Amino acid sequence: MTIVQTVLVFVGIPAAIVAVIAFAVYGKSILHQPNRYRPGKPWSYEPAWFVPHPDAVVHQTSEHKQLEANTITTTAVGGASGEW
Amino acid sequence: MSGEVKLQRNLVQYGPVGRDVTEHGFTARQLARLDEALTLSSRESGLVFSVYVGELRPPTRAHAEALFEKLTDDSVLVAVAPGQRVLHIVTGPDSAKRLPNRACALAALAMRAAFANGDLVGGIVTGLRMLADSAGRI
Repeated sequence: MTIVQTVLVFVGIPAAIVAVIAFAVYGKSILHQPNRYRPGKPWSYEPAWFVPHPDAVVHQTSEHKQLEANTITTTAVGGASGEW
Repeated sequence: MSGEVKLQRNLVQYGPVGRDVTEHGFTARQLARLDEALTLSSRESGLVFSVYVGELRPPTRAHAEALFEKLTDDSVLVAVAPGQRVLHIVTGPDSAKRLPNRACALAALAMRAAFANGDLVGGIVTGLRMLADSAGRI
């Protein structure tokens, strides 16, 4: 065997096997969960505020107007908090 | 306070498609789940649920309540700060009658459990469903 053949057999084949196993283990999460949140990791994305579809809200017109107006329309009364 | 946060209306409908992560940190599929949970829980309970995901300035409770002041009396705000590992549920004068603090605390507990496992969207969806169930139908 030449040096090239030796290197291919003893380095190339093990490296290929390792690559296949690594992809089988981690590939799915890399492809499908690019942004998987993990506790303790910083959240570097823009703040976002999601509101329901206007059709689902009963009195949508006044609510929409108030949201756009950006003024104080109500006060907080209750609720709950938590940390993890 | 914090008028810089844009409201994401119909984001799923007009937003990006595919598996790409948007600038909000969610995939299109996750956004669809969020939108479905928000719309269904709002329609079933008659309360206006909204979800804020992002940084909350300390004191975080005061920031969440300041955000809530832009909403209506029958709104419920679920504010989640993944970076600070803090969540707040805020109710208003009308929504507090339907959702006592104990019901909110129970939903917050379930959300904490999901968030601690790294399931951000699942926790929000679970919390919204529990809040809507507690509030009951119109």
